[in-house]
This record gives sequence, structure tokens and C-alpha cells, in this order.
Amino acid sequence: MADFLVAALRKLDRAPDAPRAFCEVFMNVLPVSGAAVSTLGEVMGSETLAASDAQAARLDELQFDLGEGPCWDAMATGAPILQPDIAKSGRSRWPSFSDSIVSEGVSSVFAFPLGVGPLRFGAIDLYSTDRVRLDDTQTRHAAAMADVVSRRILRQAITAVGVEPDDTTNAFSRRLVHQATGMVLAQIDVSADDALLVIEGHAFAEGRPMMEIAQEIIGGQLRFSRHGERIEVDR
Amino acid sequence: MNQMTREARLLQTFATLADTLVDDYDLVELLQFLVDTCRDVLDMSAAGILLADARGQLEVVASTSEASMLVEMMQLSAQAGPCVESFRTGHAIAVPDIAASPPEWTQFRDSALSQGFGSVDALPLRLRDVTIGTLNLMRATVGPAPAEDVVAAQAFADVATIGILHERSLRESELITSQLQAALNSRVIIEQAKGVISQVRGIPIDEAFDLMREYARAHQMRLSLVASSLVERTLSL
Repeated sequence: MADFLVAALRKLDRAPDAPRAFCEVFMNVLPVSGAAVSTLGEVMGSETLAASDAQAARLDELQFDLGEGPCWDAMATGAPILQPDIAKSGRSRWPSFSDSIVSEGVSSVFAFPLGVGPLRFGAIDLYSTDRVRLDDTQTRHAAAMADVVSRRILRQAITAVGVEPDDTTNAFSRRLVHQATGMVLAQIDVSADDALLVIEGHAFAEGRPMMEIAQEIIGGQLRFSRHGERIEVDR
Repeated sequence: MNQMTREARLLQTFATLADTLVDDYDLVELLQFLVDTCRDVLDMSAAGILLADARGQLEVVASTSEASMLVEMMQLSAQAGPCVESFRTGHAIAVPDIAASPPEWTQFRDSALSQGFGSVDALPLRLRDVTIGTLNLMRATVGPAPAEDVVAAQAFADVATIGILHERSLRESELITSQLQAALNSRVIIEQAKGVISQVRGIPIDEAFDLMREYARAHQMRLSLVASSLVERTLSL
């Protein structure tokens, strides 16, 4: 992995002034003029967590108001949405949104989904006033960066509501959570840390105790599966 | 083995322990050996060792059975029962008749009785004035445990304590905490590995531990290494 990318990922993971710092890191690594990080939909509500400038904030606001745009599509599909030339190719997809931002001087828009495992909860929007494209490597970099941001946002949300097992439950249920973690990491082929976060995220999204989720996983009523890059909940 | 007197088996156990302690050993395996010995040599129905984490919460790190009911009962005893009493006081707590235990222990009592246990002894894992956990001995019968069994079991508990705190100065309390945490963490990985085996082999969680132990023995690997290799997916059973 390139040094600059390692440094960027580390900064995204540890910068104390998150979520503000997220935008800056994206702008340092990618040829864009602005960035905005937003949560979308039911899990965390629709809210802009950070925007690099007024135009980036406006871009997000427009998409919230119109209910259309690349951030919604990124979240719905779980894949990056790349629009290097929005004036040419955006109108058929998002007529109102494209007209508005083209008139404001935006040429290119990119959106990367935020999510962990089967849970999707937002997107990162990047825009440029000059027309730019992201090549495959840059797209991969941005996706890796969005992954780190996703984990951090989910962890913060979980900590805020306190569903972490250490705070709320006893040693026996922690043991069940560890067993469930082992099952999930084998189901979807991720690290133990990520598997635990998937379980925590599921508990968070459903507003239920970790212990219950762990018991369902161990009992086989709840399982996760991987389809390429996508992870889904099976019931 | 059956031909040997109990004294001979005890001696052999201590010889094995001494051998283990002078060598590079796996703590979870050592504790597992101790609880198994309590069951097999001292005729206990079940045994378990609990260690306190950084916040003083007791957690099962080794037990003669991985059956969740047994583990849960020991955790209940660690919340309100002989286990936490022994941990708090640093003394042995004998409960010759579980049915007659105090009302605060209801949850533990009900769980123990429903699993057919009649009596229990909780012994402290203690070095001087620091208690780091407890050894719990369950018997199907009602009545006090034979005095010589309690003496032998306390010696096992002491060996376990030394095994955990070996060659470290007690004054370095941070070090004790980190060693305890290491023992507890290796248990976390063992639980995760049980989950991996259960998922991959389609067997109940409670059966996964035995498979892992058999594999470790057959390949002369440390249990914690087998567990971490399973979790990292570099090994599959």
C-alpha cells in the first residue's frame, strides 16, 4: 500500500477533530475541490456531519431536499457512484439535482457509500468545479478511506447510545458475544474486530441488546452472508 | 491409572505441574488441566476457575465442561454466590448444602440445583493479600467435602495463582493486571474460535472446545495458538 494512503487511512482512523478532518483527508488524496460526509436514512437519520465548504454543504442539502442524487444512489447500491461529467450524464438520472449543481458551477460529482457489513448509513460526496475523473486506483483508495470513516462513525454512534457489551452486560453474555463473533467472522470472512462491529451495528440498528443478537446468531436464526463485496443479513 | 492410589495420582499431578511451570506454558491449558484434575482425582462433579478483570468482574477462564448451563451457573455464583464471597474475603467458602444457601443466592441456587449439584466449595486464588480469582468445586452429593480434598484443591488453586503471576513482583500491580488481562484475552480468542468451528463444522458451540483441544494435543500445539490460528483463518479443523 502506498505510503500516502497509509498515512491518510491512519489519519481518518485517529484524527481527534473528526468528522471535520475527514473532508480534509479526502481532498488531500483525491483531485477534488470539496467533500461532505453525511448520514442518510433510518439508521442514523439524514444529517451532514462535516463539509469542507459552503458548496459541499449545499450539495448535500440539495440531495436531502430533492430525495435524489449520487449520495442516495451510493447508499442504495452500496457501490461508488462516479459522475465525471454531470452536465452530460447526470440529467437523465437526477434531473433536478443535476440542473441545480451545474448552474452552481459544479462539473464532477462522486459519492462513496458509508456502511459496515450489511448496514448502510450514509455517503461521502466529493465534487469538483473542474471536470475530473477518478481512475480505478483512486476509486479503490477512496473506497478504502470510506471504509475507515464508516467504522469510525458507527463506533461513535454505538458508544453514544452505549450498546457495547462491556457497559451493559455481564461476563456470561460477553462470552456469547465472542462465540457469535467467531461464527460471523467465518460466515462473511472478515477479521474478528470487523465481525464484532457487524454484530454491534446490527444491535444498534435494531435497538436491541447485543446478548439477544448473539443468541440468535449462535442459535442459527440470524446469519450473515457474503455476495462478492456485499454482505447481507439472512433470516 | 485406575490402579494407582489417590496419593500417587496427586503426586503425579504436582510433578506434571512443576514440569509445566518451569517450561514455557500456555496458561489456559494449565488452568484447564487443573480443573480436569479436580474432577478426575478429587472426585468433584465439576470444577471451574474464574479470574477477575481490570474492573474486578469475575470471568470463567476454565471449566470441566463447556456446556453453557454450567458456565452460566458459575457466572451467577460470581455475581451473588460462594464464588464472589470467596473472592471478596480471600477465604474458602464451603456450602455443604446448596438448597440451604441464603436468599440472596437464589439465582445461583436454582441453577445449581437444576443441574443436580448438592454442594460447592469456592477457594480463593490468592497470593499474600491479593486475590485474583477463585476455584469452584461442585459436587452432586450434599455434605462437606473431605478435608484432605479441600487441602489438595487449595494447593491446586495456589499453583494456578503462581502460574498466572509467576516470577513477577506483587508490588507491580499494573503488571498483575496486564497478566490477568492476557489470560482473559486468550479466553476471548478461544470463545471466538469455538464460534468459527461451530460455524464451519455445523456443530453446537459446546462441542467445539473438545475438537480444538484434541487438535492441539494431536499436533502438540498450544491451545491458544490453535485458537488464534482458527480466528485468523490460517487453520481450519
